[in-house]
Amino acid sequence: MDTAEIRELLRQVYDPELGINIVDLGLVYEIQNEDGDVYVRMTLTTPGCPMHDTIAGGVERLLERQPGIRSVRVDVVWDPPWSPEMMSEEAKERLGFC
Amino acid sequence: MFLLPFLFIATGLACFALFSLSTLAQAAVWIAHPPRIPVGWFHVHLLVLGWATMIAMGAVYQLLNVVLQKDVFSRKLGYVHYALYTVGTVGLLAGFSAGRVQWIAVFAALAWIGIVLFAVNIGVTLIRAGQWNPITLSTAGSILFLVLTGLAGLFMGFNFAFRLWPEWHERLFYTHMWLGTIGWFGLLITGFSHKMLPMFYLAHGVSNRMAYVVFGLWNATVLAGAAAFLTDAPFPAVGAAVGLLTLAVYAYNVHTTQIRKARHKKSPGAGVLAAVYSTRALAVVCTAALAYTLFAPERSTDERSVVIFGWAYLWGWVALTILGYLSKIIPFLWWTHKYGPRVGKEKIPAMADLLEDRYVAYGLALTAASLVMLIIGLGMDDAVLIHWSGAALSLSSLFYACLIGWVFTR
Repeated sequence: MDTAEIRELLRQVYDPELGINIVDLGLVYEIQNEDGDVYVRMTLTTPGCPMHDTIAGGVERLLERQPGIRSVRVDVVWDPPWSPEMMSEEAKERLGFC
Repeated sequence: MFLLPFLFIATGLACFALFSLSTLAQAAVWIAHPPRIPVGWFHVHLLVLGWATMIAMGAVYQLLNVVLQKDVFSRKLGYVHYALYTVGTVGLLAGFSAGRVQWIAVFAALAWIGIVLFAVNIGVTLIRAGQWNPITLSTAGSILFLVLTGLAGLFMGFNFAFRLWPEWHERLFYTHMWLGTIGWFGLLITGFSHKMLPMFYLAHGVSNRMAYVVFGLWNATVLAGAAAFLTDAPFPAVGAAVGLLTLAVYAYNVHTTQIRKARHKKSPGAGVLAAVYSTRALAVVCTAALAYTLFAPERSTDERSVVIFGWAYLWGWVALTILGYLSKIIPFLWWTHKYGPRVGKEKIPAMADLLEDRYVAYGLALTAASLVMLIIGLGMDDAVLIHWSGAALSLSSLFYACLIGWVFTR
């Protein structure tokens, strides 16, 4: 499974309050896959986001179930900080982005 | 962290339904009467202790976990707090209802011990976390004022039962109300709003400076008012406290405007919008109260004026804000508990699927409209209008309580 496929898969993980997937929100910064050892560097919309464990845990659970993936490590970082400009056009439209 | 906040929030919702049903059953008669009679005390304390404080305590356990990213000092202590506070409140309400002053004294003491345990639990949590900002400082301050509110109430209860210090009774009464409404509820709501509003507006880069101004002014308001009432100071001292409150509310409105200007999401949801609109309304109410204090000081302190301001503040701002925020707090609490562990494993509903936002809007709009009619009725001393609008307020509140409670079945 290459990183593009993993990125596509991560569209199944949503921010439950915004109702938009984490890829379209622009939360996923980096994906690496070295022989089935997957590393995801991501952020959240707000430091101290109440969904921290839920979203990061959701990414882990989703990827661990995939054939060919041996291990998953998710790093939630705050640098660079998320900004709404990182969202896809579709996400901006859904939020009524101002 | 689910069960502890859930206990408080579920109990609070049940008390809210009971308050509405009781008011409806009496055709809101108690509202039309002077408030300082047993049926008035029963209903006010059912609303303030059984509902609003119960919900606020549950929200503190839930949201502080989010703000600090740390668990509370002791969940066991939280359960003991719940038990003592609930039994104490039920007994206190029974005491008011039955006119049994010894019950009032004993059960008030029990409820107060519960409050002290809450203060210890949250206090240790905050000190250990060492994260001081307007949210945590306001939480700490509000809980201190809650303890002092209870203490003043306790002294009043003992005085009722044993006639220990009758000359202090009126001073304690006004101090008790001021500390509870402005101190406990006011500081907690403004403090938590510094987190809730940016979160739901998706607002970024808002400076903390105004939040600190609000915190400073709000504390000054509480202390000035409490000092004025406790020392039985001449009226200008009370007027000064009302002036400080007006300034604090203006500053809070400036801060909410800053947050709205920095928003990246068009609508934060009907509940959060209701909280913002009620804050705007509070600024108008405080301005009117201040004008009244300055230009008609004797009328501003008569019982009817105080009752009207009390309804406008407690129902128009505190209650509507809590009801509005519950439309976010409860879906978050339930969704995290039921669906959080299933993210990434299966298709699950979004939080918005648990509660239809337009019904939240309808419920809160009906509640606000009923409240406005009730306040007009109180102002005109029109018993018919009070009965009908009080009944409408109860019905809309029951609808909203059921709507929110239904989330726990989704």
